[in-house]
Amino acid sequence: MIAMAGCKKAETFPVDHVSSYYVFNPLDSAGTNAQAYLYSIYNELLSGHNRVSGNYLDAASDDAISSSSTSQVTILATGAYSSVNLPSGEDFWTVTSNSGLNGFVTATSSYWSAIGYANEFINNIGVVPVKGSLPNGVGERWVWQSEARFLRAYFYFELVKRYGGVPLLGNNTYTASSNLQLSRSTFAQCITYIVNECNAIKDSVITIQSGQADNYRVTQGAVLALKARVLLYAASPLFNDPSASNTNPYIGYTNYDPTRWNLAAQAAQDVINLNAYGLYPSFRNLFTTQYASGNNEIIFIRPVGTGTSIEADNAPVGISSAIGGGITSPTQDLVNAFPMINGKAITDPTSGYNAAKPYTDRDPRFAATILYNGTNWLTAPLATYNGGASRPLNGQTETLTGYYMGKFMYYPEDTTQTTFASHVEDWVFFRYGEILLNYAEAENEAAGPSPAVYSALYQIRARAGIPAGTDGTYGLGTTSDKTALRLQIQNERRIEMAFEEQRYFDIRRWKIAETVMNQPRMGVSINNSGGTLTYNYVPVLTTKFVAPTMYLYPIPYSQVIEDPNLKQNPGW
Amino acid sequence: MRKIILFFQIIIILLPAALYAQNRTISGTVKDADGVLPGATVVEKGLPTNGAVTDSRGKFTLVLKGKSNTIVVRFIGDITQEIPVGSKSYIDVNMATNQHGIDEVSVVGYGKTTRITNTGASSSINAADVREIPTANVQNTLAGRLPGFFSQQSSGQPGKDASDFFIRGVSSLNPNGNQPLIIVDDIQYTYDQLQQINVNEIESITILKDASTTAIYGIQGANGVLVVTTRRGKLGTPKINFRVEGGLQSNTVTPKFLDSYQSAQLINEAYTNDGLPLPFTQNDLTLFQNGTDPYGHPDVNWYNAIFNKYTYQTNSNLDISGGTDRIKYFISGGAFDQNGNVKYFPDPRGQVNNNYYFTRYDFRSNLDLKASDNLDLRLDVSTRFSDINEPYDQSALGEIYDFTQTNPFTAPFLNPNGSYAYDYSSFNPAHLPTINALLATGGNENSKRTDYNVLFNAVEKLNSITDGLSLTARVAYASTEQYSTITSSGVDPQIPSYHYVPASGTKAAYYLLNPNGSYVFPTYNVAGSNDINDNNVNLQVFSNYDRTFGGVNHFTGLLLLNQQSATTFANNTIILDPTTVGQPSNFRGASLKVGYDYANKYLIDFNSAYNGTDRFAAGHRYGYFPAVSAGYNMNKEDFFKNLFPVFGLFKIRGSYGIVGSDAAPGNQYVYNQYYLAGGGYNFGSTQQGYGSYYEGALANSGVVWEQQKELDLGLDMNLLKDNKLSATIDYFHNIREDQLITPQAIPEIIGVGLPAENLGKTRNQGIDGQIGYHSSIGQVQFSTNFVFSYAKNKILFEDEPSPAYPRLARTGQPINQPFGYHFIGYYSAQDVATIDKYEAAHGGSNIGDAAIGVPDNGEVIQPGDLKYEDFNHDGLINVLDQEAIGHPNLPNTTLGLNLQASYKGFSVSVLFQGSFNYSFILTGTAIEPFQSQFQPIMEQAWTPSTAATAEFPRLTSDPTTVNSPTFYPSDYWLVNAYYIRLKTLEVRYVVPTRLLPFHLSSGSLYLSCYNLFTWDNYNKYQQDPEVQTNTVGDAYINQRVINFGVMVGF
Repeated sequence: MIAMAGCKKAETFPVDHVSSYYVFNPLDSAGTNAQAYLYSIYNELLSGHNRVSGNYLDAASDDAISSSSTSQVTILATGAYSSVNLPSGEDFWTVTSNSGLNGFVTATSSYWSAIGYANEFINNIGVVPVKGSLPNGVGERWVWQSEARFLRAYFYFELVKRYGGVPLLGNNTYTASSNLQLSRSTFAQCITYIVNECNAIKDSVITIQSGQADNYRVTQGAVLALKARVLLYAASPLFNDPSASNTNPYIGYTNYDPTRWNLAAQAAQDVINLNAYGLYPSFRNLFTTQYASGNNEIIFIRPVGTGTSIEADNAPVGISSAIGGGITSPTQDLVNAFPMINGKAITDPTSGYNAAKPYTDRDPRFAATILYNGTNWLTAPLATYNGGASRPLNGQTETLTGYYMGKFMYYPEDTTQTTFASHVEDWVFFRYGEILLNYAEAENEAAGPSPAVYSALYQIRARAGIPAGTDGTYGLGTTSDKTALRLQIQNERRIEMAFEEQRYFDIRRWKIAETVMNQPRMGVSINNSGGTLTYNYVPVLTTKFVAPTMYLYPIPYSQVIEDPNLKQNPGW
Repeated sequence: MRKIILFFQIIIILLPAALYAQNRTISGTVKDADGVLPGATVVEKGLPTNGAVTDSRGKFTLVLKGKSNTIVVRFIGDITQEIPVGSKSYIDVNMATNQHGIDEVSVVGYGKTTRITNTGASSSINAADVREIPTANVQNTLAGRLPGFFSQQSSGQPGKDASDFFIRGVSSLNPNGNQPLIIVDDIQYTYDQLQQINVNEIESITILKDASTTAIYGIQGANGVLVVTTRRGKLGTPKINFRVEGGLQSNTVTPKFLDSYQSAQLINEAYTNDGLPLPFTQNDLTLFQNGTDPYGHPDVNWYNAIFNKYTYQTNSNLDISGGTDRIKYFISGGAFDQNGNVKYFPDPRGQVNNNYYFTRYDFRSNLDLKASDNLDLRLDVSTRFSDINEPYDQSALGEIYDFTQTNPFTAPFLNPNGSYAYDYSSFNPAHLPTINALLATGGNENSKRTDYNVLFNAVEKLNSITDGLSLTARVAYASTEQYSTITSSGVDPQIPSYHYVPASGTKAAYYLLNPNGSYVFPTYNVAGSNDINDNNVNLQVFSNYDRTFGGVNHFTGLLLLNQQSATTFANNTIILDPTTVGQPSNFRGASLKVGYDYANKYLIDFNSAYNGTDRFAAGHRYGYFPAVSAGYNMNKEDFFKNLFPVFGLFKIRGSYGIVGSDAAPGNQYVYNQYYLAGGGYNFGSTQQGYGSYYEGALANSGVVWEQQKELDLGLDMNLLKDNKLSATIDYFHNIREDQLITPQAIPEIIGVGLPAENLGKTRNQGIDGQIGYHSSIGQVQFSTNFVFSYAKNKILFEDEPSPAYPRLARTGQPINQPFGYHFIGYYSAQDVATIDKYEAAHGGSNIGDAAIGVPDNGEVIQPGDLKYEDFNHDGLINVLDQEAIGHPNLPNTTLGLNLQASYKGFSVSVLFQGSFNYSFILTGTAIEPFQSQFQPIMEQAWTPSTAATAEFPRLTSDPTTVNSPTFYPSDYWLVNAYYIRLKTLEVRYVVPTRLLPFHLSSGSLYLSCYNLFTWDNYNKYQQDPEVQTNTVGDAYINQRVINFGVMVGF
């Protein structure tokens, strides 16, 4: 008995466990731990580099295929997924960890967790008396809260563009005893919610990146850029069906309203009007140059730091001084999309395209995006002809199309460098180039071809290095046909933003996936006979797309059985 | 009790013996497995009053008076022997234990019981029976010996080969909620601590199985209890036993791999199937076959090159025991040394021992002091030093199994100049040095561990208050520390290794350095860490009452206060990690036990505990766990005696009660919500990482223990003369409620991790027992004991959302039921044509094809792929087409048959143990082509010409096809297994006392074997049948041991 009474009461539970009070502390005017909590919400942003099972998501579009037959991205490309086997890299609904090939910083939670974390922060940050405020008087804690609201809006949009309308939770947080048999909100409600959030917070975040700790936080530009993208998607044919035949409010609007394009154009115009952003002069170095080094094209990024992981995953195989993984094989379809240096499509008889020298005199973005046979790559011209060093055809992972991806990498245009150079590997979510293309597309749809539309496209092409030409149209020519210009804008978007996780969703929102994805993916087979090269174009992968089912993902089977009120998307 | 009975026997026997005149004198020595046996009674047959008792050296002298010329030797707990004397004047008597005498004493919680008075379900063995089994761990010796005991030994690695064990199977869906409580000398031990105990120190092992025996442990009793008592000194002169033994270990199963020629052929076959250019030319194949190019086209059997066929183990034990009226002592020491099976590779830097090994030194001193007539003191001190060694960062067997690590054709064992080679093959992209190089120079990991236990106990007899009352106070302290040293030579590929290029034309032979390697060895890097530092203090105060009134009304009682505080620290944990064990755990409670019997005929016991732990929030910590049991010795009734005189014991008994389990999965403090450190996020123009916090799983402030309602009905019988035949049978029916599982039916929208809740419910029922028979024919004595255990569980509720098809429901299945696809044959060329035709007509998709399904991985089906049943006829094979296949990995039936025979000094004992009704499936390097080394079964792979007799799907280099058990688990790969083992064999010769030199009092020689033969029912995998399911099957293979020993007593 005496011995029992002598027992200490200390350490009745693990003292290293941090409580809510510690994180949201009403006495902490520096808000250190609350800010650390905010960073964990930021941490749910995913770098897109080799994100899906070690591949770029674009390897599931018509722009590229995976060099590895075992990559899950191929399940997306070949339409083999279902509500029980959506590849984990694209399942933001349930999958709780994602990791790329070389361990890029990636999220640890599903986007529903990310939204839950944001709500926890939004509800609790008010008690932390953080000092400081914006010039317009918004207190620092409300700035942080707005950042969390932006991130939440971003996560919602990532869900909506994949699934259509999803349950909107507001600021609610839940416990196991809550009623969680929620129904989906309609697509229209989701878009309205996200846009309203953007409107509500646009003046309570920092306006421009400045200072060490502020760099890469959410800015006003990021908020408006998200709104511009959301409205562009909402106006697109997948959700805003011109035939007005959709009756399912979860998968899109049930009416057709062409003025949605006006909203989208205005939203892009709002970003342009900030006058804070411009195109970085070098397309090639756009992704390896940071804001602090004068790159004011970047609006919002996932900072990753510096390294050579992109090269380790994607650079050509067969270079002994710098061994690349060669996982990404860009398709001939993408190669053919790049115009000539004069801006004219290769199918244009006046473009000067020479089938015997297919890579000569192309749009400079071609060489900055794709590594092709004969291009300068580190020590020597790249050899991707059959049997060449970078296409040994020995059964190991190597290009299946005759091309490697070169975008995002840093390499000189001569052969002076022998190994990979470490460089910035940030993932760019929003950049000014996209804003111009968003504007051009929306304005063309809203009002038809106009000087304003062409002006946006000219800026893009001028930066790319295409000369204005004698007619001053950068090879685009002029047309008054909205449809013809639409195709040009779509192509410009494809080549300007290849591998930036745009094409995969663009072919869906334009509803052209059922056409382009049901054609075989093509590659080149180059035979080198004593220095004479012959080019044969061969199918490399049969991609599939079942329309209209696959325009939206299936809600995971596990969720539909756990919440019978969640209405499954049609066809799944 | 035993001593008191003994004392009366002595008086009864000695008094009359003095009254008769002498006739013919014989003398002798009585022994058992532990040496000479003081206190055994020897009487002349037919003249029960003429007897003697053996002295402290086991000797007796008796004057025969009657005509039977036969003596009868008795010792409590041993089989009574009748021995014809003949004309001998000196006799050696070897006694064997009797498991089923009605006076057999077995240990239960905080006390003892006998077979006749026991009302609960428990089974026990005398540790002397398993002492010579050549294994390091006590739990490895129990399979097939104790009814209700289920075990699986999944590794044979020295020092890490302890079996997982369960009492009456498993009942909880909570993976941490099935471990039995382990009690050594009334103090709780961990699994780890149990496996360190030297069997030589153990007196008895009991498992407690039902509510009446486990209720006293209350909140920790639901998984059954394993009770171990250690040996103690006995009255008599010092008795010294010394035992030394040495054994040979070898694999129970030795995997065979195909040679270079066979492997290359199969690789070419796979590449042909895949439409890829062939890696090997006809010339390569020829050179592999004729072996004329041992460096360019090597053929190395890496298994034989790396492993020894046999390796040794030794075990030595010395114990001294004895006692006087005032002090009794048992002091023992042991040394165990078990070597691993990796060969020694001489290397310039071979200063580091890279082999597996385990050594252990134990010491124990158990002292009993009689401080006064009313005060007994007891001090037990024991400590164990162990040392586990293994190669650093290498799993020697795993690397041989791993196709991407090495192949028979990948490199020679050594280059012609004696330097190390490296993997020079496109199948080994890492270009690692060969395994012998890695093992010889890669360094080791060495863990030194100290276990320390002290128990101090004082018993004060309170006869001054009332007769039969006593008060005991006990304090026990246990600590475990482990320190590991890692000696590593840095990055593997840096070990100097070369590819030999022979001379060709005018070019001389030369050596090509590994592209990742260096010319000199990297220096060893030595790092150490404190892995474990556990402390545990246990305080107990209890009062015992035991008194008989009027000769027939027997009352017993126990009131116990028990408190335990433990701190557990394990290294390599991240701050704020939920799985961190750097935390305290506290337990406190009171238990009450009341028993009454009337003339050993009607028995009733009431057991209960009120106790709790700090795993739960204040207000939810304490629970009450009562149990009641009753027994009826029918053979004490006259009517029964008259009807069935054959029964020496016929007892029916039953118990019902509630016990608990306080183990929570994962975070042990479910009621306490906290925030976790997340990954860093970069900000700034020169990017700088910032730490982050995020919300941990929600807390469950209402979390409580799991509780189990246990019903047990039992029958104890002894039949025939001398209880030759005995049987114990128990039926049990348990319902486990409030199991701590994570809710499943909550959608992901909740956005936060969920805590364990008291949700699950299962039923576990079965039958177990044993039947024993012993008899003798002439001077041959024999006994058999058959043990059977059957436990079948069923999930009644696990918060499962209603699945799309009832076939997918986990509810209603056993715990850990495997699910997978149903194999219906190989795809034929015609099947493929049918699919192609359907897809051509449906936009390239097979969706909706009700006739034949294709797997959902997007890969093109080829003839020879495994075809699975498309249960929902949607044209896709995906998880919605799974069903329950096979059985859980833990066998639900275990049988044991023990046969013993002895003739004079010779004795033989064998134990056959079998496990039935379980399944396993292996993946990855265990069986999948191009992940696993090529194995003989792959030669029977499907080809168009062997389609009818194929035993393996078509070979492919693609690891994600439908043929992969990793991605498509199925009943094709699953084995519904059983095995029967000759688990132990022991042959002993007890040297007659007269032949013993040097005044030795006893001596024996013995041969003991472990896992000697195994019969199983599968040929798909080259594995020991106790392999864990869903592994790559590269654990250290279980060992067969053939052991020879000598024991002498002074």
